[in-house]
Amino acid sequence: MIRRLVAVPLLLAIFVFAFFALDDFATLYNDFGRVYFQENGFYETGSLNLVTGIYLDYRLFDTLFEAGILLVAVTGVSWIAQHEHVEHNPLFMLDRFKIPELFVSFARIIYPVVLLFGIYVVFNGHLAPGGGFQGGSILATALLILYYIDLNKKTNLAQLFFIEKILYLILLSVSIVSYFTRGELFTNVVGPEAGTLWQSAFLITLNVLIGAKVALGLTAIFIAFLKEGR
Amino acid sequence: MNETIGLMFQIFMICVAVAVILQKNNFTIIILMSVYSLIAATLYTFNQAPDVAIAEVAINAALIPLIYVIAISRQRELIVFDTLHHGDIGPLSTFSGEIYDYLYTFSKKHKLRLNLCCDLDGSEQTLMQEMNVDLIITQTGTTFVLKGKKNNVLMKKIVRELKSHPTIQTELIEEGVHLD
Repeated sequence: MIRRLVAVPLLLAIFVFAFFALDDFATLYNDFGRVYFQENGFYETGSLNLVTGIYLDYRLFDTLFEAGILLVAVTGVSWIAQHEHVEHNPLFMLDRFKIPELFVSFARIIYPVVLLFGIYVVFNGHLAPGGGFQGGSILATALLILYYIDLNKKTNLAQLFFIEKILYLILLSVSIVSYFTRGELFTNVVGPEAGTLWQSAFLITLNVLIGAKVALGLTAIFIAFLKEGR
Repeated sequence: MNETIGLMFQIFMICVAVAVILQKNNFTIIILMSVYSLIAATLYTFNQAPDVAIAEVAINAALIPLIYVIAISRQRELIVFDTLHHGDIGPLSTFSGEIYDYLYTFSKKHKLRLNLCCDLDGSEQTLMQEMNVDLIITQTGTTFVLKGKKNNVLMKKIVRELKSHPTIQTELIEEGVHLD
């Protein structure tokens, strides 16, 4: 009761402060950044989709840490879900796991389409809405659907984690290359004078790396959940 | 026009959020949560953020519900480790005996999915801690012994029901102390 009595004035105070803080919103909100990116974004990054231009060129440093956070999360899940016992018959849980027939038949139709769409979103990330993270999560969904279709599927979790860590290292090294070619850390390998084609090659490479890493990481989390109950 | 549609979607979103709280069935909640994030994705598209909308649909409307379905299905299972039978386990009807009949009626009464398994290694404590095994069946002479965790709610019910049973005995196992 006392907690609630304290919480109500606290929430009211936060509401009042937020209301008055909105007064400054008009002066805080300006379109310097928007105008700059609209005028120079395509020339400097070679990306039609300015969001991709920002997170793979201007703010590549942040993206590396974002990918690192997912790596840490996956590592934590795998550490909590690890088992030391021997599994003679690892399928005993899954074949009693009843899945509706309708879901399985529909998933069989939709699986290749989802996979193709995920790859399209990854490769087209610098031209249309999308990118590595979005396409990677679509790919992960497709891979998860595969586990519902085929219950006897076996996966080596340790291998998945290993590939994910290797991909993260490749991502780091690819983003450091720009220091040797242009003298700047964490930006495009080639400058704007090299042309849009070479710039977008770099963007596609990074998008594919991030997409593969995200897809593997999310799939690994899902498989850890699937194995947890056994 | 766009603003009116956006407002309608916002009101609908609040309704779905309230419905998530009021709903009792877990699987209905999962569907409602994915409906919620689909509406959120629509609103993102209205506000010219298609990148965020794609991520929202892929993560919150497809991936998270699949993980939730797995997690909730695991909660509805009664995992029984059978030390009497070795090798492959067939459907439950092939087993006869008082203890299997009892387990079948018990799981039906509490709407649990009975999961019998036999190919497991390890001591009883590690099995219960790491593999979430609820019950262990052993046999001494002609009486069956059911072992379970001491602070398991299901185990307390089983002990109460089997207090005066002639052939089935129950045994409580202390759970090991967790260091973390």
